[in-house]
Amino acid sequence: MALDRLLNVARKEFSDHITSRRFVIILALFLVISAVSIHDGIENYNNSLESYNEQLQRMEEFEDPYSSWMPEKPSIMYVFISMMSYMTALGGILALAIGFDLVSKEKESRSLKTLLSHPIYRDEIINGKVLGGVGALGFAMALSLAIAIAMLLIFSVVPTVDEFAAILVFGAASLGLLLAYFAIALTMSTVAKESGNALIYTLVIFAIVSSLLPMLGMMAADALAGDPPEAPEMGPMGKQVVGTASSGGYFVSTASQSVVYGGTEDPAWREYEEEMKTYIEKRRFINDISNLLSPQMNYYTVAMAVTNPRIALMISSYTDAGVQEEPGSLAEALGRVWMNIAALIVFPSVFFAATYVKFMRMDIR
Amino acid sequence: MIRTENLTKVYNGKKAVDGLDLEVGEGEIFGFLGPNGAGKSTTILMLTGMIEPTGGRCLVDGIEVAKDPLAVKKIIGYLPEDVGFYGNMTGEQNLDYFARFYGMDAKKRKARIAELLELVHLDGVTQKAGEYSRGMKQRLGLAQALINDPIVLFLDEPTANLDPEGVREYRDLVERLAGEGKTVFVSSHILSEVRAVCRTVGLLANGKLVAQGTLDEVARTLAPSDGDVVRIVVETREHLPDIEDPEILAVERNGNRAVVRAKTDIRDRLTETLFSEGLHVREMRIEEPDIEDVFMAVYRR
Repeated sequence: MALDRLLNVARKEFSDHITSRRFVIILALFLVISAVSIHDGIENYNNSLESYNEQLQRMEEFEDPYSSWMPEKPSIMYVFISMMSYMTALGGILALAIGFDLVSKEKESRSLKTLLSHPIYRDEIINGKVLGGVGALGFAMALSLAIAIAMLLIFSVVPTVDEFAAILVFGAASLGLLLAYFAIALTMSTVAKESGNALIYTLVIFAIVSSLLPMLGMMAADALAGDPPEAPEMGPMGKQVVGTASSGGYFVSTASQSVVYGGTEDPAWREYEEEMKTYIEKRRFINDISNLLSPQMNYYTVAMAVTNPRIALMISSYTDAGVQEEPGSLAEALGRVWMNIAALIVFPSVFFAATYVKFMRMDIR
Repeated sequence: MIRTENLTKVYNGKKAVDGLDLEVGEGEIFGFLGPNGAGKSTTILMLTGMIEPTGGRCLVDGIEVAKDPLAVKKIIGYLPEDVGFYGNMTGEQNLDYFARFYGMDAKKRKARIAELLELVHLDGVTQKAGEYSRGMKQRLGLAQALINDPIVLFLDEPTANLDPEGVREYRDLVERLAGEGKTVFVSSHILSEVRAVCRTVGLLANGKLVAQGTLDEVARTLAPSDGDVVRIVVETREHLPDIEDPEILAVERNGNRAVVRAKTDIRDRLTETLFSEGLHVREMRIEEPDIEDVFMAVYRR
């Protein structure tokens, strides 16, 4: 494959994307919402920081007896949490919008046949289209992160090196999500004969991977894990089962439960507790596996690990609530969600591979 | 310059092109005739390296197309039927995009594109290609086929969307290109079009080559067989009397006209006989098969 031919296609595709009315309108909307939400996020961050400073001051003044407890210093990554929800909505629309007619439009206008009559291989065309699309989405992502960082600096919030790295990782994960949707759209554009059908197919697959698969995962977990163990009839007082369902708009589809102790050791309760733990782990395992097929769920998991590692750790922890774990460094937080990161890479790769195979065999009469 | 050997293409178990053996010499204007669905476009797609043959092979300037399609694409130009362009780009931008695949530098591209746009009368047109009429697209198609100054030009239904003036200009251009030594391969189902520009033709029907040669040769090959009988058309000013000659097999009379079916060409003898009887001969000719009828008969097969 000659690089100059590939780059010629990619350059044209990138230029087509960033000058198309469709792309510009959605990107503008995306950036405006991004700026507003970052602004809100910065206000919340400043409030949290103020409250943190007050707590520290109070501890010093009153010589708090719980000297081992320290309030958590807010991270500027909280600012990015709100980006997650519209990234999956508007970002997803942006990715679908640039991909759904990328090949079908060329078939309809017959420009593909004209292009193929010149010295270029088919794989160079499809790879160039992918590269151009990735470039356009990368450009959109870089622009939104640049605006976010600029706003942080305008409001005198200066990220540390670690926080800056976390912002970049968040951007990479977001780009991974956009690429997943772009890959779906591109595949459908190659499969369908008309752009209208390509859009319908794309939306159907989008709905399946973003909503239906997580729902099916929960149903599969319910069906395969069986009924939860029953609690002993005579239990010690103060025991309760706590279920975590949601956190800050982030939907946690797995049932994370923990048993809180409030009395003496009881062998029956201990046995129940073990059974419950096994049951929860089994449910969670089934659910996690099915969620790996959903780019949206993988994105939430990875982005949460980056923006709010403590909550991410609580969600993913199977251990008793009494045990406190520190979220650790960014690398450690990412290490805990490596399967989701891998899934975010594998998902678009599979669709790109399917596109490649279909495009190479496409009938161009 | 162009050669196919047992060239075959099968689509869904059906042979679109069936064992095609074809040869077109350098500098020829070759007309590839056949009804719609005969396999003309499929043959061109194989010759231009856009699809691979199921069997056999084809060569352009000695290069086997399936083995090195890029090398072939560099020396040929192709105007597809119903040519399409990028609607969001101007004609100039479309040509510039295609020209980049030939490694032409910016200066060379600019000069070549300006020359071609002037040639097809699209210079000064600032509209996007999406707003072009079908005729304008066809002219831009011709320009894109010539972008690399090809030595072989494949034109698929080139006059389909052109107005009479456009057709005349196209014919002049083809003649000029052939004069420069380029080989022009014109595919069409319109006999009159091929007749106007092509020196040799090949007739394709159901994926098979039915005949090849000059138009007259092909017409004679395909004319309905009447054994070795010669058909002579005779017309006199006066009413035709009975004509007798040992070579005559039959006479179809119609007033002062007749079609004489004879074993040999007896025109000289016939003229003398009629003259001796004081008749004025207005017409005396061998009846050639009507080329339109011959081709129509093949199209209807």
